[in-house]
Amino acid sequence: MSSVAIDSKKKVWGGGQSPFNLSYGKIMMWYFLMSDAFTFGAFLISYGTTRFFSAIWPNANAVFKSFPFCGEANMPLMFVSLMTFILILSSVTMVLAVHAGHCRDKNGVIKWMIWTIIGGIAFLSCQAWEWTHLFAEGGWWGGFRNGVGAHHLAGFFKAGEAIDPIGSADAAHKFFNFFFTITGFHGAHVASGVVLNIIILLNTINGTYERRGHYEMVEKVGLYWHFVDLVWVFVFTCFYLL
Amino acid sequence: MSEFSHYEADQSALYSGEHHVDASSDASKAQVKKIWMITLYLTIITIVEVFIGLYVSGHMPKLYLNSGFIIMTMFKAYLIVKVFMHLGDEVKNMISTILIPLTLFFWFIIAFLADGAFWLWINHAFGIR
Repeated sequence: MSSVAIDSKKKVWGGGQSPFNLSYGKIMMWYFLMSDAFTFGAFLISYGTTRFFSAIWPNANAVFKSFPFCGEANMPLMFVSLMTFILILSSVTMVLAVHAGHCRDKNGVIKWMIWTIIGGIAFLSCQAWEWTHLFAEGGWWGGFRNGVGAHHLAGFFKAGEAIDPIGSADAAHKFFNFFFTITGFHGAHVASGVVLNIIILLNTINGTYERRGHYEMVEKVGLYWHFVDLVWVFVFTCFYLL
Repeated sequence: MSEFSHYEADQSALYSGEHHVDASSDASKAQVKKIWMITLYLTIITIVEVFIGLYVSGHMPKLYLNSGFIIMTMFKAYLIVKVFMHLGDEVKNMISTILIPLTLFFWFIIAFLADGAFWLWINHAFGIR
């Protein structure tokens, strides 16, 4: 690939070729992902700024300590780690699908795309559980619902931290607003990614890419899927670790 | 060659021959192995992050803790972008069009966090909150 770059330097402005030796679709996908990165970046930066100017903020280990089917068990960060692992794995199966596409191995592409779609749906299910659980504890956009969760308030902060009632309620409201907005936006991207993956899978099964002569569409949709995974890596760090 | 849809026509030459590798060849197997190795690294880094988040969180100054998390996250992002998204295989200038704006973005992050911290300090200094 680098040898092609050297050759093309001689006639870069001579026309008859595509910039960077990439097809139009691939370049545009990369630049769309850049714009989307700015959007998510803006969300996360506003989260960070709000957090930095808050004297007190909920503690992630205290807010996210449940696990499905484990009732009142105290398992901080375990469920979100599982979600992260699922999404990273689905990204891996996506790479393997792209690799199979490079090898023109249609059945390989089908197999790995199916696994990727399963991973995406599993992640969405986990996120839905997380949302439902927090909703049950009283959290939602705008803060606690009609006082449902107000008695949980102290439990959301680090044990032993002095809780100023107004400041902490205010911080919890902001926390919920950011949490549901950012993970909601991300979840929408995962959902649309799953839909796109299903479409590409159907096209693959129908032999569209065999006829076309290449599996670049799998690569392009793979870029989108990796981006979705990347955003999650950052969201995970900002909300649950930092 | 088979017929292509109109917009694909002149672009097919860019990729129809380039990557073609036989699925059962050694080169293909080596690539698959590399993919799984990177997966292993990503998993290990995530496990380390979670471990630190759970057990070290209260015992280390926030600055070191958060710097550590950010470095680990950036490294995960680096692996995903370079290997999984194949950016590492692209033409150098193409890589720059992606990386340079992101570097400037980094400045954006620092500026706003500093702004938030300053806001907190000045309100505290004037006894507003």
